[in-house]
Amino acid sequence: MRVRLAAALAALTTLAIVTTALTTAGAHGPTRRKVQEQVEINATPAKVWAVIGNFQDMGWLAPVARTEGEKGNEIGATRRLTLKDGATVEEELYKYDAEKMSYSYRITAVDVKVLPVTNYSSTITVQPGADGKGSVVEWAGAFYRGFPNNEPPPELNDEAAIKAVTGLYRDGLDGLKKKIESGS
Amino acid sequence: MRGLLAALVLAACSAASAEQAFVTNQLSDNLTVVDLANLQPLATIAIGGKPAGIAITPDGSFAYVTSPDDKAVSVIDAAAREVVGRIAVGGGPLGIAVAPDGSTVYVADWYAAAIRVIDAKARAVVADIAVGASPSGLAVTPDGRLLLSADRDDDSVSVIDTATRERKAVIKVGTRPFGVTIDPEGKRAYTANVGSNDVSVIDLAALREIGRVKTGLRPYAVALAQGRGFVTDQYDGTVSVFDLATLAPLKRITVGDYPEGIAATADGRRIIVANWESNTLSIIDAEALKVIGEVKVGNGPRAFGAFLRR
Repeated sequence: MRVRLAAALAALTTLAIVTTALTTAGAHGPTRRKVQEQVEINATPAKVWAVIGNFQDMGWLAPVARTEGEKGNEIGATRRLTLKDGATVEEELYKYDAEKMSYSYRITAVDVKVLPVTNYSSTITVQPGADGKGSVVEWAGAFYRGFPNNEPPPELNDEAAIKAVTGLYRDGLDGLKKKIESGS
Repeated sequence: MRGLLAALVLAACSAASAEQAFVTNQLSDNLTVVDLANLQPLATIAIGGKPAGIAITPDGSFAYVTSPDDKAVSVIDAAAREVVGRIAVGGGPLGIAVAPDGSTVYVADWYAAAIRVIDAKARAVVADIAVGASPSGLAVTPDGRLLLSADRDDDSVSVIDTATRERKAVIKVGTRPFGVTIDPEGKRAYTANVGSNDVSVIDLAALREIGRVKTGLRPYAVALAQGRGFVTDQYDGTVSVFDLATLAPLKRITVGDYPEGIAATADGRRIIVANWESNTLSIIDAEALKVIGEVKVGNGPRAFGAFLRR
């Protein structure tokens, strides 16, 4: 079984089957893990926010082919991401602050073969850069490993979950930087 | 009059100065001891095995800490701030509670629908109690007679007779109860229901749910003080406050990110909150309902259980 999402988003495009729909606050392991990644972008926070600030458009993330959802950027808004390989991820917005350029959402349904985590939530924030010029984008996530019971298989343990989310954030943020700085 | 007031304030200060928070930092694998009088860290104790749950004996002599990844409970001499024993319990130990007299420690096995009973003197598991699925929070009534287990994946609370070590009742509550807290009178219990975003109020004489209070998103645990309930809302980064008599919501107080463990100081004046994402404690004035202090702790503080040493 291939679950090396950590090896970037490559795995996202190789796995096509979506079967499970993990329920809200479902069963999970004993230890919630956290991942935080940042990127500096040579553009104003407003310009970066204009690219990522719409919850109904995750087109800035390379593996995402389509975003469909309801209720815009309201609390409780939902979106369904269809990845280029056909897999889907369902998400719900639970915090949104345009002034602070930050929003938080959680995954309501994803197959652990697509992302080996459960009870996943994350926050994206845009802040001014330290030099007062560019921007810093931070993507932070909190999640449990993909395997809810004791003695997880290696592809669904804590390390696999951290590796996958770190890879997702790293590639996502680096891609965002490239996209904005190249003006595309 | 002024002299009396000054004496009262002094008494309150000296009482508070004895109090400490023992904060389990799950991701840094250790425990931070914080002096609650001056809000300074006093010590860091290495634990290992992703420590999560904690129970301190009412006399303040021992702290028991669960390490799910090591399938063990650490015994800490709370005055010396040293690990003095380690008890193998198997499974996935998470929630933990200690009897009021300190003689017995109860550990919830997250995976096995069972509670392990530890003889505190022998430091060994001496019995098992069958409960519902994914037991998480545990609490013992002040008289020591009843043990409550929040059985998360069964949406219920098991009520155990500690004398016979058998389950005498199952009380249906909200969806996925996690923390459970019993009031000082032993009359009511409160569960934080992660799935239904509310608190269930249980009457311990009638052994049934008598009320429900809406909270923020993903409530974790409940603390009681000043006739109010204080609930950590993990996803909202707030503490929801409600009135214990009317069960009416009173306020939402913004704390750090992903607040989890919560407890009231002995004098009921302050509420201590562990913020899992922010790696801090928030200190709330329980009367004024506002944050009055913050302390840096280790990575991923959970402080799940009775984490204040009095």
